[in-house]
Amino acid sequence: MIEFAEVSKRYPNGQEALKKVSFEIADGEMAFLTGHSGAGKSTLLKLICLMERATSGQVVVNNKNLNRTSRRKIPSVRRNIGMIFQDHRLLFDRSVFDNVALPLMIAGYPHREIGRRVRASLDKVGLLSKEKYSPIMLSGGEQQRVGIARAVVNKPPLLLADEPTGNLDPELSAEIMHLFEQFNQVGVSLLIASHDLSLIAQMHYRTLVMKEGRLVQDQVDTITSSEEGSDES
Amino acid sequence: MSHEQMSGASMSQGATLSARLKMLSRLHKIEAKRGVIDIVSNPVSNFMTILVIAIALALPTGLQILLETGKTLSESWDGASRISLYLQSDVTESRLTEIAARVSETSGVDSVDTISQEQALEDFKERSGFAEAIDQLDSNPLPPVLVVQPKPTHTSPQASEELLAEFNTIREVELAQLDLDWVRKLYALIQLAEKAASALGIALALAVLLIVGNTIRLSVQNRREEIEVVKLVGATDAFIRRPFLYTGLWYGLFAGVTCWVIVTFSLYWLKDPVANLAGLYQSQFQIQGLSIGQSLKLIGISCGLGLLGSWLSVGRHIRQIEPH
Repeated sequence: MIEFAEVSKRYPNGQEALKKVSFEIADGEMAFLTGHSGAGKSTLLKLICLMERATSGQVVVNNKNLNRTSRRKIPSVRRNIGMIFQDHRLLFDRSVFDNVALPLMIAGYPHREIGRRVRASLDKVGLLSKEKYSPIMLSGGEQQRVGIARAVVNKPPLLLADEPTGNLDPELSAEIMHLFEQFNQVGVSLLIASHDLSLIAQMHYRTLVMKEGRLVQDQVDTITSSEEGSDES
Repeated sequence: MSHEQMSGASMSQGATLSARLKMLSRLHKIEAKRGVIDIVSNPVSNFMTILVIAIALALPTGLQILLETGKTLSESWDGASRISLYLQSDVTESRLTEIAARVSETSGVDSVDTISQEQALEDFKERSGFAEAIDQLDSNPLPPVLVVQPKPTHTSPQASEELLAEFNTIREVELAQLDLDWVRKLYALIQLAEKAASALGIALALAVLLIVGNTIRLSVQNRREEIEVVKLVGATDAFIRRPFLYTGLWYGLFAGVTCWVIVTFSLYWLKDPVANLAGLYQSQFQIQGLSIGQSLKLIGISCGLGLLGSWLSVGRHIRQIEPH
């Protein structure tokens, strides 16, 4: 699903955010991406959804080489990726329903299909009763779930989450992670950036650890906090 | 098609063409409505914008209407090309007939009317009201006059000049004169004014483009966050552009209608003074309001400028906004 080969990213200000990162995530795999802030997690996610472009190396997502994707083709790449943000990125001038419907409206789905899918998606995250609310009336955890409903509403094969539980208490965080597991069980690939090591440790999924722009560890099961200081491989 | 067939993996690529078209027309409706709501929800500043556009359009429109009426007025004045030949007073009756015959044979002349000295005196007595004073005169001071009506093909200023020159070569002609020279001058003046009005119109159309473009630029900046989000969930530039194009179109439409009201009211306001003025010249002339065709043209141009201004502005500014 995702393939990085010797990918480096240098920002115009000279900062080297990624240094020769290589890894692969299979179809239907769920993995965590962790590391201190500034280690390059966000940059890595941005390369996958073409918010940034690699300076060198190859990024292949969903069998498409993103290096060769023109600006015009970016929307079609993004439609196949569900994105979840720490700050939710909801539109507060419209209802929960309209927020979740946005990707379907953009893709030109028929009206009745939109209603059906949005409700199915809201049902999945347990917010069906609040479709007419404005996002501003919801709690942080609920807003995050609206963001998740929007990310999955057009059934993308890949979900990216950038610190999805960053602002949530442990109980809500576990709830969100449980949702992610459910998506994974129906075949969706997930890459979740998080620095919540205790939460990741409970989950027993593959974990990629980043440090100063390098991928320093790629562990199949779980990690303990002692590995944070491990040497670069 | 059942829901089962429509859902599934294939749907992630989108829907069928007819469903897409249906959705597209629905989206257009939604966005057209949103554009109106946007304008109505911020009435003061948007009304100002619309008023500025309307005034910018009203100036050239009003001018154009006035010039057009002025032109039809001066064109309809048949007398404009009539030439009067004032002859020497001592011309005999038979010589007068000879000259009239000669003049009527000149190429470009349609008809010649002869006004003898006696006839001229009678006319003058009747019109001036000095009948008694004139009766006291020993001799008739008025010259015989030939009134020449050129053919329609010989009414241009140049042809008139040539005719005048030719008539001046006749020995007995004391003075050859275009009757309503001032109408011709007015006509020339109107033609000049029309050019100036066109230039003004173009300049103000550019101003309208800039006003709409700037308003749309601010509107794009205000909705920066929203644009970033829709870009993140896969919106194309065309999708993002559409609501702004609608806003531009609505600006144009509202401004066009406002402009129509301004121009119509102004012409109505001018109606009485113009009728008074025309009355002084024994004319039944009246200012006409905007015809249906002119009204549609005005609103069409206004909508076009709104759309174009928005189009020019939105493409550039949307490109600059990328999610981060």
